[in-house]
Amino acid sequence: MTMMSQSVDAFVEGLSSFLNSIPGSAVLVRYVKSSHQNDPGRTVLELLLVAFAIFTLLQSRTRADRSGKHFIQFEEKEIDELVDEWKPEPLAEPLNDVEASDLAAVPIIIGQTGPKPTLARQPSKIIANLASYNFTGLAGKEVIKERAIETLRKYGLGSCGPPGFYGTLDVHMQLERDIADFLGTEAAIIYSQGFSTISSVIPAFCKRGDIIVADRGVNFAIQKGIQISRSSVRWFDHNDLKSLEDVLDSVEKERKKRRAPLTRRFIITEGIFEKDGAMIDLPKLIDIKYRKKYRLILDESISFGTVGRTGRGLTELYNVPAAKVDMLIGSMANGLCAGGGFCAGSQNVIAHQQINGPSFVFSASMPALLAVSASEGIDILRSTPSILTKLQQNVRTARSLLDELDCISIPSHSASPIIHLHIRKPAAGLLHPGSPSLGGGHSLKPSNPTSILPREASKWDWDIETEERALQQVVEEALKRGVMITRAKRLRGQEMVEARPSIKLALTSELSTDEVKKAIKVVAQALKDVLRK
Amino acid sequence: MNRPTSIKLPALGIDVGAKPLRTRGRSGSIVKVEQVGEGSIEEVLDRSAYSNINADWVNAKGAWLIHVVLICIGKLIIDTVPGMTQQISWTLVNLFYLALSYLMFHWVTGIPFHNDLHGGAYDDLTLWEQIDDGAQYTPAKKWLFILPITLFLASTHYTNYNPWLFSVNISALVLVLIPKLPQLHRRRVRLVHDDLSGMATPTTPGFPSGASTPSSLRDITEAHFR
Repeated sequence: MTMMSQSVDAFVEGLSSFLNSIPGSAVLVRYVKSSHQNDPGRTVLELLLVAFAIFTLLQSRTRADRSGKHFIQFEEKEIDELVDEWKPEPLAEPLNDVEASDLAAVPIIIGQTGPKPTLARQPSKIIANLASYNFTGLAGKEVIKERAIETLRKYGLGSCGPPGFYGTLDVHMQLERDIADFLGTEAAIIYSQGFSTISSVIPAFCKRGDIIVADRGVNFAIQKGIQISRSSVRWFDHNDLKSLEDVLDSVEKERKKRRAPLTRRFIITEGIFEKDGAMIDLPKLIDIKYRKKYRLILDESISFGTVGRTGRGLTELYNVPAAKVDMLIGSMANGLCAGGGFCAGSQNVIAHQQINGPSFVFSASMPALLAVSASEGIDILRSTPSILTKLQQNVRTARSLLDELDCISIPSHSASPIIHLHIRKPAAGLLHPGSPSLGGGHSLKPSNPTSILPREASKWDWDIETEERALQQVVEEALKRGVMITRAKRLRGQEMVEARPSIKLALTSELSTDEVKKAIKVVAQALKDVLRK
Repeated sequence: MNRPTSIKLPALGIDVGAKPLRTRGRSGSIVKVEQVGEGSIEEVLDRSAYSNINADWVNAKGAWLIHVVLICIGKLIIDTVPGMTQQISWTLVNLFYLALSYLMFHWVTGIPFHNDLHGGAYDDLTLWEQIDDGAQYTPAKKWLFILPITLFLASTHYTNYNPWLFSVNISALVLVLIPKLPQLHRRRVRLVHDDLSGMATPTTPGFPSGASTPSSLRDITEAHFR
């Protein structure tokens, strides 16, 4: 025992003499002694802290959040395999059968388009063009053509820049004033492309954290705008104001529950829906908007230039002052046969978009001749309200003939200048996305506002391919007999919810009542022939 | 290579539609740990579009030294107060440093500069979570970790704390070190009462719509925390 302790003592002595010989060891010893301060508990805690600090220092860096979830960690071998197997895709995929036949079926017009164009293939003379958006016959009007040529000689063609960077001409500003004056709003702003108008207005005002309540049947451009805006979006049933109120109430209840601060809230809907031609009840919508304190973004791409006494749109039709709509979007491409789109509203709304509207800031402004054409179009509409009367008459004539058919169903409003025709299934009572929910819908459970699909989506049973093919046959049948119609063309696979295939008729005021009757009879016959088979 | 690859590439789920609901189930606990910042593809895109100057400055020149400089200046100023003992002086320096660094790095969320460039993608994240895009154990984070510990050890070395002051200091230090841990990255500890979630910025509202909410979205499972 003593031998062991003696050797241990000797070892310890040797160790301490060795340590003392290291230069600076005295400092260390003094430091440790003064830190220790005769308190072992404190020293233990401090040593734990030091150990933890050293442990932290020795850890290696982890990967950043950005690449975290979406990054797949492959090994070298797997990477090599993938690289070897890779074959580059062709720059332009060869068309499949459906696409090739679609392309071959597109009619080619020689010369100017109009109510009775000349086609490159048989039949060369068409008796009615019910496919182009030429609602008030402004396409090809001589007055507009002359003014456009004059403008082309004066300004040249392109505008060479975005509106904020040397791209604004006096004719643009004149058009903005004309539109504001025509509609009765404080100001208006022009965008050079109709599609990118609404998808720029929405992200200009709606940001992450704001609330958007949108209709389930809004068009693709609005869906893109909502997606870009990063706002929280809630959907209400198509053209159903009761469902809108329910969703607004639930949003408010939820906000109160979370005690979240008040953010900007928007209702986004269309005047006449491009997807199916339904029309909203504007006075009731405005009433709801004021009661619940939401802002309204109304997309009147189809209804501007086509409804109302002089074509001012839904505000004129329902006799509602346009100032009550916070942002009124319209399309000069659809309504005035010119190009581009506009947003009308108060001075603040417009001034904000001049800095914050993505398409206004980053896209080139429209050519001068299109702006002048649009201004002329507005003048013509203002001075000849008989055009609109004629258009409405044609719409009524067409609807009266089409409503008699039992092989199709028509979701469009009776005053809507675009008429969608869906194939009617033999079994009755199946709702499709275009129809507003009827009175019986209120007794059903409400649809989930966070999903764009309504509750009936599980009952949708149409086959898109089959219906598209059938409708294409109808189109070709009608074309053989001299009436140019078209299917509603969709971006399949891109929209949030797939629209049901339909034929979209666009009525025009340029055809006389008899011509409209004849053309619609041809269409009806084609429908009966193809769909009865 | 003719043999087929056995590697399955998972589909990149770009969820265009509704963001996932985050209603919490009922819980009886007083303290809850909640996840923020969903990391959806849109948030990732918005964060990576431009560099975040509000978080990059910690890697800039002099950003590390400034901590030491400010602590020394603070100590000098506090020492000039008449009647100041070493114990109180070191405690005050320690506590002020911890309080200010906690406020700056772990309390305030969002970014003060260039807010519109990122479209609100950083609104839920504190400065600590923004540094280095959320990578852990980076040099800047290690420095910010070591500094309070060193300050504390220096203060206990140079004074002789009575047990109360010692415990105050060490508990403050531990409290400030907790949010720096990588396990608490993007988590918030909330004191819950009455089922409220009380987040500062409204993200996706949770909809306890009862029968119409699919039940798979109603409960948060362990999978959400991975």
